[in-house]
Amino acid sequence: MDITESRQNGFLILTVTGRVDASNASSLEKTLLTAIDGGERRIVVDCAPLEYISSAGLRALLLAAKRVAPGGGALALAALRDEIKEVFDMAGFSAIFRVFPTTGDALAAGR
Amino acid sequence: MKPASGSADIYLRNDLRELERLRVAVEAFGANYCLPGPLLFELNLALEEWVTNIVAYGYDDTEPHSIAVRISLDTTAEGRHVAIEVEDDARPFNPLEVPPPRLDLPIEERPVGGLGIHFLRRCMDSVAYERVGTRNRLLLRKQVVG
Repeated sequence: MDITESRQNGFLILTVTGRVDASNASSLEKTLLTAIDGGERRIVVDCAPLEYISSAGLRALLLAAKRVAPGGGALALAALRDEIKEVFDMAGFSAIFRVFPTTGDALAAGR
Repeated sequence: MKPASGSADIYLRNDLRELERLRVAVEAFGANYCLPGPLLFELNLALEEWVTNIVAYGYDDTEPHSIAVRISLDTTAEGRHVAIEVEDDARPFNPLEVPPPRLDLPIEERPVGGLGIHFLRRCMDSVAYERVGTRNRLLLRKQVVG
């Protein structure tokens, strides 16, 4: 897994590449929580190059969403491929996260 | 011509770094038997959740343990099926006794964790468990569609 950070229109965009499993999800969790603790409130996780995620990765996203919400922030997800979307649906996450077809859509919705 | 049957054995140590070796083995099996990508995703997910559970919660000591995984393909009149058997010497744990998670709670009330076994059950057509002596034995089955 690789995480790259960029910034656009006041959003922090985290692009996650490769596979998030139980052996590396803690580093996704750390990146997200460090950003939130540093004051980030508008975060988009760009999943376009994400190939695989298991419950360990969802745990990291849920922890981050819980931490950012009380400050009026939100964590949005963008560009989920079919298999990843299926994992989110199985977890019931599609109802609690805002999911956008592309990162551009997520930015436009948050303006 | 798709091969009709065969199996592969993988022996994993109780270390989360072994998940990579598990993934490589599942993908190699899929390539050998021409299994579709979405099916491999589900097999990998189910196996990862189970192996992670064993490694993270199964042992009372810090000794090395072996987790044996056998993946098989069989073809019957009903079609092609993947069968997976996992055996370990961790403490007894029956995934069928785990209550399903509440998926309808708002974000602040959603518990963190508890999804792995849910994924295992959702991804597979059937899940069976038995405790044999000092060993857990998990049997998974999934039809190959496409």
